[in-house]
Amino acid sequence: MNFLAPLYLVLAVAAGIPLLLHLMRRNVGARVDFPAARYLQRAEQEHSRSLRLRNLMLMLLRVLLVVVLALAAARPFLPGLGVGHGPTAVAIVLDNSLSTTALADGAPVFERLRAATGALLRAATPADRLWLVSADGRVRGGTREQLLAELGRITPSEGAGDLALALRRAAAATAAANLPVRSIAVATDGQRTAWATAVRVPGRISVLVPPGEPPANRAVVDAATDPPRWTPRGTITARIEASDSVAWRILIGDRTLARGSGGMGIPVAVRAAPPERGWQAGRVELERDDFRADDVQHFALWIGAPPAVSVDAGAGTFVTTAANALAADGRIALSPGGGARIASADVLMSLPALVLPPTDPVRLGAANRSLARLGIPWRYGVLRRGPGIVRGTRLDGVGVTERYLLRREPGAESDTLATAAGEPWIVAGDGYVLMGSRLDPAATTLPLRAAFVPWLAETLALRLGGPAGESGAPVRTRPGAPVRLAGGVDAMESAAGARRAVSGTATHAPDERGVWFMLRRGRRVGALVVNAPAEESALARWSAPVLAARLGGRDRRAAGSGDEWVRSAFTAGSSRPALVPLLVTALLLLAAEAAVVRSTRSSRSIA
Amino acid sequence: MEAARASRADLLDPGELAALGHIEIVARWIVDGFLSGLHRSPRKGFSVEFADFRPYQPGDDLRYVDWKIAARSDRWVVKQYEEETNLRATLVLDVSRSMDWKGASRAAGLTKRAYASQLAAAVALLLLRQRDAVGLIRFDDAVRSSIPPRARTTQWRRLSGAIAEPAGGRASDLATALAGTARLVTRSGMVILLSDLLVDVDAALPALRGLRAAGHDVTVFHIMDPAERRFVPGGEAQYTDPESGLAVPAGADVRTAYDATVDRVIDEWRDALGAMGIAYEVVLTDQPYAVALRRAFDARVRRS
Repeated sequence: MNFLAPLYLVLAVAAGIPLLLHLMRRNVGARVDFPAARYLQRAEQEHSRSLRLRNLMLMLLRVLLVVVLALAAARPFLPGLGVGHGPTAVAIVLDNSLSTTALADGAPVFERLRAATGALLRAATPADRLWLVSADGRVRGGTREQLLAELGRITPSEGAGDLALALRRAAAATAAANLPVRSIAVATDGQRTAWATAVRVPGRISVLVPPGEPPANRAVVDAATDPPRWTPRGTITARIEASDSVAWRILIGDRTLARGSGGMGIPVAVRAAPPERGWQAGRVELERDDFRADDVQHFALWIGAPPAVSVDAGAGTFVTTAANALAADGRIALSPGGGARIASADVLMSLPALVLPPTDPVRLGAANRSLARLGIPWRYGVLRRGPGIVRGTRLDGVGVTERYLLRREPGAESDTLATAAGEPWIVAGDGYVLMGSRLDPAATTLPLRAAFVPWLAETLALRLGGPAGESGAPVRTRPGAPVRLAGGVDAMESAAGARRAVSGTATHAPDERGVWFMLRRGRRVGALVVNAPAEESALARWSAPVLAARLGGRDRRAAGSGDEWVRSAFTAGSSRPALVPLLVTALLLLAAEAAVVRSTRSSRSIA
Repeated sequence: MEAARASRADLLDPGELAALGHIEIVARWIVDGFLSGLHRSPRKGFSVEFADFRPYQPGDDLRYVDWKIAARSDRWVVKQYEEETNLRATLVLDVSRSMDWKGASRAAGLTKRAYASQLAAAVALLLLRQRDAVGLIRFDDAVRSSIPPRARTTQWRRLSGAIAEPAGGRASDLATALAGTARLVTRSGMVILLSDLLVDVDAALPALRGLRAAGHDVTVFHIMDPAERRFVPGGEAQYTDPESGLAVPAGADVRTAYDATVDRVIDEWRDALGAMGIAYEVVLTDQPYAVALRRAFDARVRRS
């Protein structure tokens, strides 16, 4: 037996009052003149047995009545007795991931899940503790009414969310509740990819998965451009998942670039030289189906002339060779003495430039003076020799044996593109990319790697080749995912022109899918491409029993309907509030007490 | 009907009536009211005052045949005379301490003694107006007043004065009082006892039997307060008899048993007294006097 308000049990002490009165009634001090006292005496003598029995019965009834009322005040919960459900800590995991927007019987699955969640919240009592956890792991606590209001505000997210995290948080919330019964209620479409990483949680779990098969889905699961910077030619590739042939269309801005039909896993590739210039937003579209969210995949690209590059003689053989290869492919235009320069810092005269350390350490002072003169907020420090491993995009695993320590000037704003031994190795800023090692096999294995030429092409095209300050290839991410922006970016702008301010480089991607251009002082310097995760397109589901078996232990319930789910979430606990039965018992005791009193009156009238 | 009821003092609430005047005056109002409501149907007998003729019937005493009429009209009639009694009635009034009590719930009510005194005065006046001789004995643990039965015009003044005397406030010794009555009234007559009967029953019953054996018609008015008749408990308390000091702890739980016991006590009195040929009437102190007066009047008629 559990009590919601155990302190009220002290009221049971009052049960001693009838007992005390019963024991003390013969020792009362009040004295009343009553000439017919002899009749009283005779009455007590003649009716002593019945009086004693009656008084004992009345005392017992009154003691019981006080005890029952004290018990009722303590709000007990008894197994197998009572009505409704006992106080339960319920954490509801509402799957509002993108896959729940798939239509079933003409309505999104999410609406059915939300309706069931609303029914569960309405079935709760003030004694329950409630939490509502959405697929992104956000936990909302509060009263039933507050959570109903929250429920009305929850909409399907643009991404997959993190249902494993949501489940863990739900378990943590109920575990912290000081209630005898704890229950986790999961309302989900049962998408396998969403729950693949979820682990079992302790305690009771009730899983609702609406019955029925998911709709046949056709999806664009990937769309990319190669290279990121078109000069002005490039290729758009898309991967379409469909069980049959489907019509597709590729747009840049609002202009249709190409259209066709395909699918069944065959990739789509379109080579083009569009007339647009600068950063552009594009998308690959399919015919609409019952899961519309993955019928579009966004991409971004920069279109312009190939960047002009001049390679200083001291840059080294590997750099010169790579530049010549890029020029032969039309990716760059060699322009001695003009455009972006590849040179040692000590001889560098202007920006933009890929800055290399001096060949001779004695030139270190001249190199730093040159950096200061050009406004680059970094300085070369001591020369460090010894093996080191590089971490950075395209550069993971590159070895370093000789490098200068890069020291940041106070207040400097720049990106660290790669680190060696945990220290900055390649940094970039407005019009420069600064390296800590010479591009020479004696200092680093980078020139020997296959990624060297593409890395050089990308660096020259996106960071140095365009207008000063370009921030590199488009960043591809998911809605709401954490992203790292280029230094100096102060706003993001959607393809439709909506802007939002950002501060710092660490932020989260917008929840809306699409292309978001990164702005630095009002100028587009990069792009953030936000697409639904590809795994959301896989709508294959687990049934409620299977998912419950994966998520729960022995105490698990599977429900195919909202009503069943609500019942299983609350009535899973065997204890129920015994307030009503106790009040009924109290009323019966009162009636019995009245009956005892009345029965003696009746016997009087008969006499 | 209501107007007539309102004009008859014997039908008024005793408590309200007592507040209107002295016991002597109130007794007159009661008796006047009682007599005005009585259909005058005096029993015709063979006394000294002529009342009427009636046809002779076989068995009539030939002494009362009016021979003159028989001679003149050849019709046999007998003379009827207003019956004239010479009743000697004695009121035995209990003025013990137990009589000087009323229930706490009746603030405007009368004590048993006040009620019995007023009733005794009314009965005395009623009898005196019938030209009966009326006497009085007041007693508690001893006889406090003793007035022999007389039919004189001054008797009413003596009786009302004695009735109004303060009570002695002691225990009841009914047997002694009845013995005194027997000594006081040597000829057989009517004895009316007004008492709460909270007495030594074993002593009282032989004394009553003695009175009855002496040829007296005895009527017992058992004066009871409504709170004695039906127990009205005021919570757990020691209920104490002011005469004997008997203290009985009791509460609401005993009410039913008490009421049943009182019913039984009344039945026992009625049975015991009925067996002796003694009229017994329970009179509650909130009843109009007419009830008891009617009973006394019936006893007087029965006696005559």
